[in-house]
Amino acid sequence: MYLNNLNPSVKALTILGLVVALALLFDPVTPALFTLCTIAVTFLFGDFRRKYYLFYLIPFTIFAIGMLWTTIAFADAPKNPAETIGLIWWEVPREDVLVALSLSFRVLAFATMSLLFIFTTNMVEFLLSLMQQLRLPPKLAYGIMAGYRFLPMLTTEFRQIRAAHRVRGMGRESRWKRYRRFAVPLLAGAIRKAERTAVAMESKGFTGTRERTFYRNIRVRKKDWLFPAGMGAIFLLLILLSLRFDYFSWYQGQL
Amino acid sequence: MKNWKLKEIVVMSVLSVVFAVVYLAFLPVGKVLTGFFGPIGYDLIFGIWFIVSIIAAYIIRKPGAAFLSETIAATVEVLLGNAAGPMLLISGMIQGLGAESAFAMTGYRRYNLGTLMFSGMMAAVFSFVWGYFQSGYAALAGGYVLLMFVTRLVSGVILAGVAGKALSDALAKTGVLSGFALGKEKRKKHAA
Amino acid sequence: MNVQNLSLQYDDMDAPILQNVTFSLGEKECVLLLGASGSGKSTLSRCLTGIYPKELEGTMEGEVTFEGKPVKDAATGTMSRRVGTVFQDPETQFCMLTVEDEVAFGLENICVPSEKMEKRVETALEEVGLLHKKEAAVISLSGGEKQKLALACILAMEPPVIVLDEPTANLDPVATDEFVSLLRSLKELKNITIFVIEHDLDPWIDITDRVLMLGRNGSLFYDGPLQQGVDRYARSLYEEGIAVPGAVRVAMESGRTAPPYPLTARGLAPGLSAPLKAPPHRENGPSLMQASGISYKSIFSNVNVTISEGSFTAITGPNGSGKTTLCRLLAGIDPVSSGRITRPFPDKDWFQHAGYVFQNPEHQFLTDSVWEELAYSGAEDEKIEELLEWCGLTDRKEFHPFTLSQGEKRRLSVATMLVKNQEILFLDEPTFGQDAKSTSRLMNLLEEKHRAGTTIVMITHDMDLVDRYATRVVVMKDRKIGFTGDPDELWNEDLAAFQLKEPFRVRTNRLIKGDMYVPQ
Repeated sequence: MYLNNLNPSVKALTILGLVVALALLFDPVTPALFTLCTIAVTFLFGDFRRKYYLFYLIPFTIFAIGMLWTTIAFADAPKNPAETIGLIWWEVPREDVLVALSLSFRVLAFATMSLLFIFTTNMVEFLLSLMQQLRLPPKLAYGIMAGYRFLPMLTTEFRQIRAAHRVRGMGRESRWKRYRRFAVPLLAGAIRKAERTAVAMESKGFTGTRERTFYRNIRVRKKDWLFPAGMGAIFLLLILLSLRFDYFSWYQGQL
Repeated sequence: MKNWKLKEIVVMSVLSVVFAVVYLAFLPVGKVLTGFFGPIGYDLIFGIWFIVSIIAAYIIRKPGAAFLSETIAATVEVLLGNAAGPMLLISGMIQGLGAESAFAMTGYRRYNLGTLMFSGMMAAVFSFVWGYFQSGYAALAGGYVLLMFVTRLVSGVILAGVAGKALSDALAKTGVLSGFALGKEKRKKHAA
Repeated sequence: MNVQNLSLQYDDMDAPILQNVTFSLGEKECVLLLGASGSGKSTLSRCLTGIYPKELEGTMEGEVTFEGKPVKDAATGTMSRRVGTVFQDPETQFCMLTVEDEVAFGLENICVPSEKMEKRVETALEEVGLLHKKEAAVISLSGGEKQKLALACILAMEPPVIVLDEPTANLDPVATDEFVSLLRSLKELKNITIFVIEHDLDPWIDITDRVLMLGRNGSLFYDGPLQQGVDRYARSLYEEGIAVPGAVRVAMESGRTAPPYPLTARGLAPGLSAPLKAPPHRENGPSLMQASGISYKSIFSNVNVTISEGSFTAITGPNGSGKTTLCRLLAGIDPVSSGRITRPFPDKDWFQHAGYVFQNPEHQFLTDSVWEELAYSGAEDEKIEELLEWCGLTDRKEFHPFTLSQGEKRRLSVATMLVKNQEILFLDEPTFGQDAKSTSRLMNLLEEKHRAGTTIVMITHDMDLVDRYATRVVVMKDRKIGFTGDPDELWNEDLAAFQLKEPFRVRTNRLIKGDMYVPQ
């Protein structure tokens, strides 16, 4: 599928660019429409387990709704308190609702864009691309890769430690002390393993210099530019629409 | 990156991975607190989200440790599915820069409790300024915003600075840090 | 490869770890370096590969040369083309996610052109028999496969010398044999020098051309053929923490054989007039715990086990057969999904009566010193002193538990589980990865407790331990109970079907009777 084969650096930079551009705007409609477009693009051009996508999107939506409510509840005094909207049984200033909606949809737009990236990108290819296209030092890239590999190992370790502590009869102490008792064996084990991994990498001739060849060469092809062009076009179209229907506004450290 | 040893990079990255998970685990805690106290709920525990900067910098003691560790942690958080998405990456980098700035100001020479507390404070300052513009704190009442700021400062100093140092020192006692700057310093003190 | 008067001391230690070590490695030779854990074996391997003195926090004297040129002058990264290393821990020698990427990683480092890489990756994987796993995730491999992968990574880079640092310490006996025979066939096939660092000599007997023996003081005390070395030092090997081959031990105990000692069961059997005796007393008491029809998630279902009072029950079976799961369920660490376990004590204070020793003892440590560790479990000062004395840690009481040696950590974790005079003790592979001396120290402690009436349930791969200590054995196979009963009955079963190895005693006896061909 197109999104999965897209050059990861191009994909990441496009998304980052769009996020910055979206952050400059402040109205409820543009991010809402953009969210829908992003989801559509993800589903049309991405190959992934559809069920998991929803599984991830739901908490994001809850988060956005939570944000909506807190922003309204703790809002600054509005400029036009007279204009209100009835939210079921609660009268709130119109202005506050608009601000809250803008913030919440922006969060959703960011979230769907990051999901687009996460669901269609292979972590290893991303790091390889960062090295090959964006000149990330290999020492850092492979160091991160080695660290990332620890993730599943750490989960098992964590469970082991929890069970082991239960046998020792933990639980009489304050929460902070318990955290510390957990953290020390977990981190100590991880650090020792990290050191061993580094030694193993060096013994395979890894020096961290840029002089190396690659088993997988990640390139930027012509069709990769379709993604920034297409997403940029959607974004501009939405801005034109917002200008046309007059709800466009810049973000001014709201409000 | 030249004067970094590979083992320092791998250890930094492992610390970032561990704390990325911790950071994610504290999000719901923040949400619960927000439910009780409003947006300030997050500020109460905000210091947690700076802790890897302080730990990595205190253990490794090389320019860039605070910034890079926080950035990697944020990246891993995004990959694991944090709700804030790419914005979090930028927040992470800014927090990291804040923490890093404190170490830069001391010329990367002093790593005592004061510096670490200062570093937690700077991370709080940077992150608050960023949050002010990015998350629309300006929409909230002025006095409330000030209270949020002070809370976050205190949280950064205590939860990142003081707790970060305590945790690193406890780790140093296990002997696993003997190949790193912190472990070597302890050994010198011990010998003297 | 030459090592001349090598001495090395770490900054954080009082005594040098290597003293005046001198030896050489010839082309196509297979040399075995024997030494106890902590005797500086791994340090030596780091000197050979040029990691030291570059990464060393300490001082190093003497010289290591490869083909006449000093290793320390080699540019960073170039030594890896000459000496490759397979490390002990299968979990921490990889940095990539898939098998092919991992093998390619080394080739990328030495700038092999991209278009030639695939061929070399495939050849190396084929040599170790992992070609079918080329695209698999590294994490999905078993321990034995991981070590083969580590070997493939090295083979792909085609160095003339391969150093193996306790490569089988974390493998079960079957995987160990497989790994050693893989090396043997590679040795015949390829033009490589092999340098193996070990504390256990048994699996390596056939493939070794020469042995070096490293003492606890860090100096070599023997360099020469295996047979002479064993003949001369048989009596001091144990003190140096090196496992004495089973055949040598029996020959010495029987007292009838003077050097040269037989090294294998095959060599020993003809000299024996009577079969080796089984250990005495294999009684089991009445039932203490009973598990009926227990299931756990999808891991296993409908398992029935009885643990008798005062028994020494060994749980064994191949990796992944569900041994640990069973043990954890019995000990009440994980809750059963269905079925019932009847325990002699109420759940509320169950862990006052039962102890569980995890595979990694560090997981169980909670405090900053050995003393506090025991105090945390609620022991009185007198009891602590007594336990420290019992497990030989009295002079270590101020130490941080993490800074102890592997064997000491294990003994401490057993001690923390005995503070309340627990009646039942569960242990998950307590002898794994330890040298001969710490294994026998630990087993003596357990045997003592067992004789005093403690019920012991222990997971182990080591059939010699089962033969010597167990009163009852439970064999897991494919997540079911494959066998329960007396160890002596087990030896008459088809052990190969359970992926188990016969204990040394039984193997020898069969050879005496001559009723079975034993491949060695």
